[in-house]
Amino acid sequence: MLLAQILLNGLLLGGLYGLMALGMALVWGVLNIVNLAHGAFVMLGGYCVYFLFAGLGVDPFAALPAAMLAMFALGYLLQRYVLNLIIRSAQLNTLLITFGLDVVLTYLAQLAFTADFRTINPSYAGANLTVFGLTLPLLRLAAFVAALLLASLLWIVLQRTRLGRAIRATAQNLTAARLYGVDPARLYAVTFGLGAALAGAAGGLYGMVSQVTPYIGATLTAKSFVIAIMGGLENPFGIVLGGIVIGIIEALAAIYIGPTFTDAISFGLLVVILVARPTRSLRSA
Amino acid sequence: MLRAAILALCVLALAGVPLLGDEVLIQYGIDALLFATLAQAWNILGGFTGYVSFGNSSFYGLGVYGTAIAMAQLHWPFGVGLAVGAALAVGCAVLFGIPILRLRGHYFAIATLGLSATLAAIIANIDIAGKNIGLILPLTRADAAFYEEALLLLIAATATVAWIAKSRFGAALLAIREDEDAALVMGINTTRYKIAALTLSAFFTAIAGGIHAYWITFVDPGGAFDLTLNVRMVIMAMFGGPGTVFGPLLGAFILSAVYDVLASSISTAAALLFGLVIVLAVIFMPRGLWDLAGGFRRSGARYLLQNIRAHRL
Amino acid sequence: MRRLSAAVAAVIVAAFPGVAWPDAPAAAAKTVTLGASLQLTGPDANLARYFRDGYQAAIDRINGQGGITIGGENYRFALKLLDNQSNINLGVQQYTQLITRDKVDFLLGPYSSNHTLDESSIAEKYRVPMVQGGGAARQIFDRGYRYIFGTAPPAENYFGSTVEMMTKLEPRVHTLALLTADDAFDVAVRIGTKALAKQSGVNVVVDQVYPENDPNFTSLLALVKSKSPDAILLGGHETEALNFVREAKALNVNPGDMMALTVGVPSADFRAALGKDAESMFGMTPWVASPVARDRWFGDAQQFAQLFARRFGYEPDYHVASAVADVETFAYALEAAGSLDREQVRDAIAKSDFECIYAPIRYQANGQIDIPQIVIQVQDGKIVPIYTDHFLNKPRYPAPGWGKRN
Repeated sequence: MLLAQILLNGLLLGGLYGLMALGMALVWGVLNIVNLAHGAFVMLGGYCVYFLFAGLGVDPFAALPAAMLAMFALGYLLQRYVLNLIIRSAQLNTLLITFGLDVVLTYLAQLAFTADFRTINPSYAGANLTVFGLTLPLLRLAAFVAALLLASLLWIVLQRTRLGRAIRATAQNLTAARLYGVDPARLYAVTFGLGAALAGAAGGLYGMVSQVTPYIGATLTAKSFVIAIMGGLENPFGIVLGGIVIGIIEALAAIYIGPTFTDAISFGLLVVILVARPTRSLRSA
Repeated sequence: MLRAAILALCVLALAGVPLLGDEVLIQYGIDALLFATLAQAWNILGGFTGYVSFGNSSFYGLGVYGTAIAMAQLHWPFGVGLAVGAALAVGCAVLFGIPILRLRGHYFAIATLGLSATLAAIIANIDIAGKNIGLILPLTRADAAFYEEALLLLIAATATVAWIAKSRFGAALLAIREDEDAALVMGINTTRYKIAALTLSAFFTAIAGGIHAYWITFVDPGGAFDLTLNVRMVIMAMFGGPGTVFGPLLGAFILSAVYDVLASSISTAAALLFGLVIVLAVIFMPRGLWDLAGGFRRSGARYLLQNIRAHRL
Repeated sequence: MRRLSAAVAAVIVAAFPGVAWPDAPAAAAKTVTLGASLQLTGPDANLARYFRDGYQAAIDRINGQGGITIGGENYRFALKLLDNQSNINLGVQQYTQLITRDKVDFLLGPYSSNHTLDESSIAEKYRVPMVQGGGAARQIFDRGYRYIFGTAPPAENYFGSTVEMMTKLEPRVHTLALLTADDAFDVAVRIGTKALAKQSGVNVVVDQVYPENDPNFTSLLALVKSKSPDAILLGGHETEALNFVREAKALNVNPGDMMALTVGVPSADFRAALGKDAESMFGMTPWVASPVARDRWFGDAQQFAQLFARRFGYEPDYHVASAVADVETFAYALEAAGSLDREQVRDAIAKSDFECIYAPIRYQANGQIDIPQIVIQVQDGKIVPIYTDHFLNKPRYPAPGWGKRN
């Protein structure tokens, strides 16, 4: 019974983690940029939803599309006018510049919003159902469903739309894609924007199950790494699955090893997977 | 001859700073010197070998905790503490270096980051390390001594890098940076050289960590394995000029001064401006100040635009 | 440099919320500057701000009533505060800065034991007396430091009255779940509470430590639910307490017969944030605003509470009161020492013996005060003192389940 409840908790949270990692995986797979500022986008998305909810009374789930739009715009602009400038230089530079962006975004957020924590706490936050003796918190369930929906949406876009085909083509072979008329500057910007939008949505949901401060970015970026590496950069559902696996592992570890060990396990997994994985040819140095 | 004289003068000038008696200057000084050492240590692996480590904070943290545990829990003297810290870091470098150095590019960087985070998380659970609370070291009132020790460490690190730059060891590292596969084909045992570079890097980083720990008198997992520390040392080395002998020093001193001055007057904005500096530096001078100085002499302000044109989409 | 610091201090002082405070300070004659690095923003901000306001209230009141007399000369207090954003490393740097660059005369403390533990080392290193009300863990005072004094009673004893009360409730509490964070304060609370429980014959069926940095209570709550303890005791700071109660509600983990928190209950905005979910929650406080506690500058604690609420817009809790006591400690010690010499002031502080709105101030040999905790409970949105060593009021017990609170 305890085990079942823990698995359920891990599953629900894991879906959200998967959504969070989707944005990073997309950008990594297509642009070969490891975005160290990814967590900052999650954080900003969280604030968008928070202010729409606390300031204008918009239901958080209804506020998600607005937040996603805002984050898309931010991501698009950043890629188009900043990141595109260094995209062909050494990989170190993209890591450094996204780190710099992360610092800038985090501290701008701190100046604008102060370091106080915000929670998105709609009236139905405490609601829960009891199913087969297990408690099912409704808010977390809704967040889980939203995550799955967005992942499906991304899959549909990638597989069934022209934009998606262009994105996948660019990921495989930029030169060939250019020959087919893809404008790389715009395409890269759109992809990055999509990644930011997904991050923003995850942030809004995260604010409902936890809290938003300017500093949540760093740990979330790190978790997204772990999941992206685990899930592989190809399939959105692989990422969501990766997120669920991590969520369940964390939930189990909290009880059977100790709540203070969850980070050690997540990051340890990251190192182990990286080292044990057969070297992928995906544009390594 | 002239260069040697200038160097000697600089060293003497630096060594004389504590005599001015300005406590604030000494604080800045210790910070700057330790950072310069970290940048220089990173330079050995990142600058010469081309393996960008985002996890030097692993070695820093091990140096910090080795010293702290030795002094606070086992009541051993400072020198022994430093040795313990260095031993831990070197051990970690050899143990984890072998599997991790097989990775390239992004994956190497992330793996080192993961290593650092894992170590931090593990130490936050170890009793003798004070778990998440950390440890308090014995109190000492000797800032001038710390300053001189940091200076000595920096001299040692720089001398090592200078030796590397002129030796066959260094040539091998550069070969690995330029084209590792070609180097392998030529018969260079790249694994051994990479591990040696990592170990040297780890050694100096750990000692810097130990000095810092004793100076600040407290350690905790967050501060010891701080990720931003990582990036700061990379930025300083990169800003100054990776793969050169004095580039990282220049980068460290300048950026340290900028950061400290900003932090004491507008603390939050300091971090913000620092982030902006990183972004701008990567865009306009990706090969560092040293290269910038040369580039300016050659082509003036067009140097900056050339960089963008070379690297943009 | 000095002028800049004074200007900055003046801006900080002027910027704080102040409806016409009846005793606004006149142009300073000679000043004694007290400095502190506080968590004005960040996860600890809500409670650290109580210290900021407490320090301010005390200083303004003392200055407004003429200041103090040191060695025959009239002095006013000045306050220099820095924001460490709840980051200990920054706090350590800022205390160093306050001493070496801003050259403050004496130090006041930050909030929380972890901050105090680390930042007090700087005060000790530079031999500057620090009086703080935010650090309760005895570890702070067991190091043989001479310059650190604390008005927060030992963390190990926070749940003392609560556990004692448990043995006297009907039905008796037999089992409890103890969940504590891994920072200095809560580690101390855990050690102390386990010992107390053992002494009182209460069985600790769940004893878990959660990471302060990433408190995700879902698994812990599932565990607690599976063991069905009579009582749940939570050690943590305000952010964690809020999260915990909310998640407990979402996961439908009822508090058994009772739930007690180390922080949160005494503070008004915590209760406001939880609304009805805070009902029947137990907490503790070493201070209530009673007219029994008399004070040289404020009259008595009740008058103080009224004045404070009028100026700052919220009811003061024990953090605010202890902050006032910190400032008053310096006031009395400076007058007794007759000089600003740090050694003499330090000795005078060690011999402190005065009444104030907070409590009778006498520091033990290790520098920490020792006063008992009062168990309090939220009843209809208000705090009611329940138990010290005997029942003061009737508790609402057993606590109703989540579903039955509306």
